[in-house]
Amino acid sequence: MIALRGKALSAPLEEPLGHTVWKIVDVATANSQRGSRAFVVGEDGEAPEGFDLYLTRSCGPSAGKGEAVLRLPPELDYLSGDDVISVSDDGQRVRVLWRHESRQNSVLLTERCNHYCLMCSQPPKTANDDRLLAEAFELMRLLPRGTSEIGFTGGEPTLYGQGVIDLLRLCRNLHPEAQVHVLSNGTRFADPEFAAAWAGIDNPNMMVGIPIYGAEPARHDYVVQAEGAFNQTIPGILNLAQLRQRIEIRVVLHKLTAPALPEIAEFIARNLPFVYQVALMGLEMIGLARANIPELWIDPTDYADELVEAVTLLDRNRIHTMIYNHQLCLIPRSMWPYTVRSISDWKNEYHPECVECSVKDECGGFFFSAKYKVSEKIKAIPGEAPREPALLEL
Amino acid sequence: MSEHRLSFASSAHSVDAVQRAAYRFSDRLSCDISERPDAVEVIVHLADDTSEPEAVLADFRNEVLDQVLRERIRAETGDVRNLVLALAFSRTGLIDADG
Amino acid sequence: MAKFRGPLAFQAPSAEWQLLPFRFERINGKVLVTNLVGEHLFLSAEDFDQLARNELPTDSPLVRRLRAKHVIREGADELPVELLAIKSRTRYRRLAEFTSLHIFVASLRCEHSCPYCQVSRQSSDKGAFDMTWETAALGLESAFRSPSQNIKIEFQGGEPLLNFELIEEVVAAAEVRNASEGKNLGFVIATNLALLDDRVIDFCRAHDVYISTSLDGPADLHNKNRPRPGKNSWELATAGIQRVREELGVDRVSALMTTTRSSLGRVREIIDTYVELGLTSMFLRTLSPYGFAIKTKSFDAYDVDHWLPFYEEGLDYIIELNARGVPMVEQYAALILKKMLTNDDPGYVDLTSPSGIGIGAIVYNYDGDVYASDEGRMLAEMGDKKFRLGNLHQDSYEEIMLSDALLAPLEESFAPSAPMCQDCAFETYCGSDPTYHYATTGDFVGRKPTSGFCRRNMAIFKLLLDRYEGDAGTRALFQTWAGH
Ligand code: SF4
Ligand code: SF4
Repeated sequence: MIALRGKALSAPLEEPLGHTVWKIVDVATANSQRGSRAFVVGEDGEAPEGFDLYLTRSCGPSAGKGEAVLRLPPELDYLSGDDVISVSDDGQRVRVLWRHESRQNSVLLTERCNHYCLMCSQPPKTANDDRLLAEAFELMRLLPRGTSEIGFTGGEPTLYGQGVIDLLRLCRNLHPEAQVHVLSNGTRFADPEFAAAWAGIDNPNMMVGIPIYGAEPARHDYVVQAEGAFNQTIPGILNLAQLRQRIEIRVVLHKLTAPALPEIAEFIARNLPFVYQVALMGLEMIGLARANIPELWIDPTDYADELVEAVTLLDRNRIHTMIYNHQLCLIPRSMWPYTVRSISDWKNEYHPECVECSVKDECGGFFFSAKYKVSEKIKAIPGEAPREPALLEL
Repeated sequence: MSEHRLSFASSAHSVDAVQRAAYRFSDRLSCDISERPDAVEVIVHLADDTSEPEAVLADFRNEVLDQVLRERIRAETGDVRNLVLALAFSRTGLIDADG
Repeated sequence: MAKFRGPLAFQAPSAEWQLLPFRFERINGKVLVTNLVGEHLFLSAEDFDQLARNELPTDSPLVRRLRAKHVIREGADELPVELLAIKSRTRYRRLAEFTSLHIFVASLRCEHSCPYCQVSRQSSDKGAFDMTWETAALGLESAFRSPSQNIKIEFQGGEPLLNFELIEEVVAAAEVRNASEGKNLGFVIATNLALLDDRVIDFCRAHDVYISTSLDGPADLHNKNRPRPGKNSWELATAGIQRVREELGVDRVSALMTTTRSSLGRVREIIDTYVELGLTSMFLRTLSPYGFAIKTKSFDAYDVDHWLPFYEEGLDYIIELNARGVPMVEQYAALILKKMLTNDDPGYVDLTSPSGIGIGAIVYNYDGDVYASDEGRMLAEMGDKKFRLGNLHQDSYEEIMLSDALLAPLEESFAPSAPMCQDCAFETYCGSDPTYHYATTGDFVGRKPTSGFCRRNMAIFKLLLDRYEGDAGTRALFQTWAGH
């Protein structure tokens, strides 16, 4: 997988950087602009003058003397022009905010959250990390016009209240064409004022993805480990719907949610038919999910019936439904047209079966972290690949 | 016509519940219902060609019990029902979802 | 791990379950429970007992199902009330829509002499039984007064093609009028197709007119039902259907069957006839009760009990066809399933409450009399003008739409307050059909325990739920029908 953070091998700075967010330029992308830009030195060792920060690759040639130079760790050697990073003041810690090659950039706005989902991939922390929001503002200004997709995640971004509204408004104003996707647990929208502020951003290309894990409070609240969550999230969704906002419902499938999938689908079709789409997500064995394997793990083949039932019901109710992060060999063929292959630009690590598999190019399959828990039923699909993959739609 | 006497304790059965059961069964039987201090007395008339009269009477008794339950549901939920309907007609549409 | 709290921590704190309005019906040892808006679930008798005795545990799969379906709520939970309100509102939206189907009886004359038809005349006297342009113009005026955004104008008879000039005039005038009104305007001609010719085809193509015809099944059955000189009604109808499909498009023609006693036992053949003609939807109609019932005021459970096996066999055959990949929709089931499985109400006249009469459809007779439903017109032809709302030449739109002849049956038959319907678990799927009940019993409500309408519909509701619960394939099919 691609590393998104790392420690500099060396960063002999004479004084603190005094600036956090840097857009990377290289020989190919450099122009006369210097502000907020870090020059990454290529194989040829060429380094135009005047940048406040130079980056060198772990084994690459160094830059001139006397400049602020940071040597990247090997796992960040891939950084190149038009990527955006944040660098701690001492130059030691580097975080990647944006990879121009990825169509799945998601901007982490905070690690704080009012929920504590059993399978959270980004375990919530409590420390103040407002700087992440500040960096996101900066990032919006550095992204090129024509950026097509921007995702925001947390933690829970809406904890910022007006702060996140301001960010999203800036995002809309600077990148009106971009498809904007925000992940939220939805509770904040139960406040009509906040929902109205959200609608006031007035971005028709913006969608909020909100998870629900049950058709009634008990199951949902247990999964998100927060009492009263369901009774806030659903009214939040209703508020947004009234304001004609685009809503995606997300259901992460695991042992607690998969058996209830038909009920959840029925609940959505009957009570929330206005949603723009429903995304059924395979469980990623990262973050808290790894700690809760006994509570959460279920072989996808064991919920095949529920999956078919739910997807059929949603589809017949004309609710656009997508299946993410599922190995094709583990779900019925009738479900394949609904699968979406997350486009990733890093190499999937393949299971031995996958090597011989005829549909591995279409398979949402093997995201790396699955190596922590793998279904024993993975089995190469012989023969011709029978379908066109759907593209990722945010 | 055969006649059968049934008695339902007033403490647990209202005349209304018995009447509703009788109405529902009016394709199978007819009833004379009278109210005593401690019981609702019912004379059930069954057509002579009724097959298994005992089963029909048992069904009728169960129907009375169900009507008692329906009465309770109506009483317990009347307010919520009115609330829902008031809410439903007081605001403008949300689920007009197709849009 | 101590950080995570177990499922017990998220049970409703007090577990004070409160009932939400629901109704129930015992069916074959199980209990059907429907909530205020008609969402259903089946419970075992034991589970239902727990609910009935107020002995629900703090948490259990049963409790969760009941909460999810808005049958119970915890203490002061407001969300279920809110959601039920939204769903009810959606369901009643149809009421505000008001009349969208306007039936013009272009001519009472017909060259068929079908024995069960109560209205047509064998006459060549155009003057006596054809609608005049003056009358049609008033009907058009009334149609455009209706607040509905959708206006469908349907020409019926007799055989409306016998007065084709009038159809041409009405369509032309409606289009001119609509240029400024901007409604969704559509036209249908209900014809036996015997008189289909180039002129009609060209006209229908030019003005997007749909054709609705009659097809009772195989040739012998159809021709027996529909005598005409030449004894070739079936041949003309099927050739006409084929011609419309080829020259106007497959979606431009639909067929409706009349069920007579001779149809009983032949449902598969009837369905096959439709399949052979490439039709993808049909309406397995009930035995028409009017003539018989009105003359004898007779209890028609007999008819219903003979018809139900016909319907059941037909429905199962259609399900089987779909499973084999042959597309066919049974319209009556589809209408009911929409009400069962969605918040939508298709507004079908027989299955709405308040009744759809005058609201879903309104009939302008050839002589200008206005009826609340087609059945109301038939009743009038048999001498009882109970459902005559007025006359286009004498009464204003307001007088017609507010007439007692319309309001009284609407009010009196309102199913949620009718005896037995009030407590009926199927009430949200059902309707009130005051015309039927008036025709059979003399009052708008009827006695549901002995009503053929109730008996038939209750049996169909049970049948549909049974098939829906029974098998995932049928469930998917029914969901498709409901989504139409
Ligand atoms: S074998 Fe691998 S590539 Fe093939 S379907 Fe299964 S997981 Fe996907
Ligand atoms: S007519 Fe019969 S089935 Fe329909 S609501 Fe009334 S009681 Fe129920």
